[in-house]
Amino acid sequence: MATARTLHVRCSTWEQVEVFTTRKLRKGKLLSMKVPFEAKVGTPVTLGLELPNQLVIAIDGIVQRASPVENDRTWIELELSMSDEVMLRIKAMASHEVEPGTDPQIQSIPAVRKSTVQQADDLPADERELFQHLSGELRRLRAAAVHDVLGVPANAGPELIRTSWKNLIRRHHPDLVARRGAPAITHLAEELTILSNRAYDRLRAALVAEGRGVIVGPTLSTPPGWLVGFEDISSGDGSPAPRVPTKFERAESPAPAATPSAGPLQGGEAFETRARAMLGQGDANAAREVLAAALVIYPRSKSLRSMYYVATALVAVQDGEMMLATSQLETALAHHEQCNEAAAMLEYIRKHGTPKADDMRRLFL
Amino acid sequence: MTKKERAVGIDLGTTNSVVAVIDRDGAPRILTTEEGSTTMPSLVWYSPDGPVVGERAREGLDQSPDMTVFGAKRLLGRRFDHPEIRKLARILPYELTEAPNGDTWIQLSAGRAISPEEVSALILRELKRTAERFFGEPVTRAVITIPAWYDAAQRQATKDAAQIAGLTVLRLLSEPTAAALGHGAHRGADRRYLVCDLGGGTFDVAAVDVDAGVFEVLATTGDPFLGGDDVDRVVVENLVRDVRAARGIDISTDAIAIERLRLAAQRTKHELSDRQQAKLAIAELAQLPSGKGVDYARNVRREEVETWAAPLIKRLEAPVREALRRCARRNEDVEEILLVGGSTRMPIVRRELARIVGREPSVIPNPEEVVAVGAALEVARLDGTIEGVLLIDVAARGLSMSTQDSECEMVIAQSAIVPTREHRLLATRQNDQPRIEFDLWEGESPDPARNRHLGRYAVVDLPLAPAGDVLVLVEVTIDTDGVVRLGAAELVSGERLTLEQIFHAGLTRAEVTRLARQMLEAPA
Repeated sequence: MATARTLHVRCSTWEQVEVFTTRKLRKGKLLSMKVPFEAKVGTPVTLGLELPNQLVIAIDGIVQRASPVENDRTWIELELSMSDEVMLRIKAMASHEVEPGTDPQIQSIPAVRKSTVQQADDLPADERELFQHLSGELRRLRAAAVHDVLGVPANAGPELIRTSWKNLIRRHHPDLVARRGAPAITHLAEELTILSNRAYDRLRAALVAEGRGVIVGPTLSTPPGWLVGFEDISSGDGSPAPRVPTKFERAESPAPAATPSAGPLQGGEAFETRARAMLGQGDANAAREVLAAALVIYPRSKSLRSMYYVATALVAVQDGEMMLATSQLETALAHHEQCNEAAAMLEYIRKHGTPKADDMRRLFL
Repeated sequence: MTKKERAVGIDLGTTNSVVAVIDRDGAPRILTTEEGSTTMPSLVWYSPDGPVVGERAREGLDQSPDMTVFGAKRLLGRRFDHPEIRKLARILPYELTEAPNGDTWIQLSAGRAISPEEVSALILRELKRTAERFFGEPVTRAVITIPAWYDAAQRQATKDAAQIAGLTVLRLLSEPTAAALGHGAHRGADRRYLVCDLGGGTFDVAAVDVDAGVFEVLATTGDPFLGGDDVDRVVVENLVRDVRAARGIDISTDAIAIERLRLAAQRTKHELSDRQQAKLAIAELAQLPSGKGVDYARNVRREEVETWAAPLIKRLEAPVREALRRCARRNEDVEEILLVGGSTRMPIVRRELARIVGREPSVIPNPEEVVAVGAALEVARLDGTIEGVLLIDVAARGLSMSTQDSECEMVIAQSAIVPTREHRLLATRQNDQPRIEFDLWEGESPDPARNRHLGRYAVVDLPLAPAGDVLVLVEVTIDTDGVVRLGAAELVSGERLTLEQIFHAGLTRAEVTRLARQMLEAPA
């Protein structure tokens, strides 16, 4: 027997809603899509359409055509039993023709999020004003798309999103009103904070998926090396990129490697020359800094990478951490077999133990 | 505005607990127990005359180790089949048992099982009494600190323990944040802190950023089985060997002698934090078969203890490195190291952490108490006395949901900022289906076996309608304390629906209420 299914479709921007209603729906009611379950003709499927203002609208539908595709997925054509009235309202909200939340018609759209039950009447005068301000904010933000909640443009970068979110919770966090001991106000503040946090979390997730952001705990920052752009990299030696994956790295195959011909210094050679000079002077720390910077620009250069590990090993030698030094040298060789310095140092360490700084320096002169 | 009831800040520790308040002059103040100590052992002895808490319960360790519960914090909110509990069950002198819902309980030898919540409640009640003696009036509200990595069940269990003790939890505050707050980070410049907390039984590391009054915990790691108690243990092991060599008797199977030796070793360890050498003397450590007592005394040098503890000290490095790796930081990025917990008084711990990070840690005069001070400051912050400070927390684990035999579907991702809320739609599958059941899991895996079961719930009294016509929207909220709340509504009408708990980790509301009443009526 065909069992009923529920599909959740999340539209995070009003543009998506508009695309959904205008282009995805044929004849205003037919929707074709791939679904992650087996479906047969006649299966009832309910569509939960989540709008950017976090309203969820349930639309019933029946599968009209179904054909299985790979991995238990099915391509289906769904006929939705959506009344024109609901359709019109969604469209109206999408085009911002009406101010959502103020139009009584829009409120009649089946929605779970009802406004808070508390009333302002039984609050003292100064709190009533705050209550009204907060509930006004809440109404406004509930109807807004995620980036509008934070008040940032749709293509905002990590820094702007983070600052805007911080400013918002600085205004609305429930802790700031806790001392009043008024449950109604604390509740509103909490709802506002939940809205801000969700908007921030969604935008963060979107930026990470695009490779434009890195998340650590509650933070959001620009990934190191993002601004350089991977299309600038000409060599295709295939060593793993050092930074977080970005959408550029998903390209099928790197561009054919440019033939190493004469001309200006290739790839990271300028950096390498500088780093070698520093190592020759025994300044392993500075060399490591230079190489780390170079790797941001030339993340696939084997020789830069191995040289970086050699420099790290030298720093470890200076600190007397021979275990670390050895493992760094082995890593250097793993990245680039022809790293003669790493091989020489390893052999030296195996024969003589802790190397002298002068002997190490000479390797690079 | 009516006068508010008194509130305290509590550091509910694995080994020791501390209570602090904001004094009348606005300064934080650590309260002392009746014995005159600022820290109280988190120890409950179920003596024949009723439970004894704190310093006086040490007697129980001597007399009946199987009736004396220490380290209840490790058991709080944990499933019996959790690997850490399996490990503890082998080493604890008291017996653990599995509660009907899979939680870990303590089997007292009298054939009576108690929940870790009850044990923690007794400790909290003792601290509450300490505060009441100080104020001369009832104390009913508290900020309680918890490890940053506590999951939803552990947070709920802590809250339940407080409720049983008659305390309303104003906030569950993560320990690294509390330490930074207690250190005064909100008054100083913006900093990137590394908080290293080596207590009696656990080692926790956290990277905490303070930026214009906003506190954020970036990453936490730790070793749940590394602390000052382990140092005591290795010292005792070595002393037992020494007793065998010097006195020719083996006391390794004599529980009472070992406990005496442990207390003396702990005292000596504390003395050695300030001195190079200390004298350890125990009158009548054990008895010879003839009934004659054996005394034991020797000088202990700091280097000796440091050599014995070296393997333990080595274990500090991995969690610190891991914490820095998780937030993509190098040693140089750490702007200040905060050492928290009594065990960081040991010079070798300071030296080792300074070596690992390459920076001298800040000297906090009271590493045992700074977390409790932070909790007291949090009370002041929530009361509005400290302004412009915000503490940001994230969900320690993700939350997933499943219905009947379906796979788990993630609802809230790990590191989502709390408070937060997400929802899922559930549809009826049969005509006139009266209820829908679903499970809530902690973890993000689609495979239920890899997540922690938080509970099974049912949405009941659904309107009668053909299959699929009734759509239920389940809302999952994680509140500011990191505790999970559920709500359900019928999608079309927006009508609130009743949720029933079928199975639930931790104590039920009714049990908590009953235990709270019981504790209120119990003689002091």
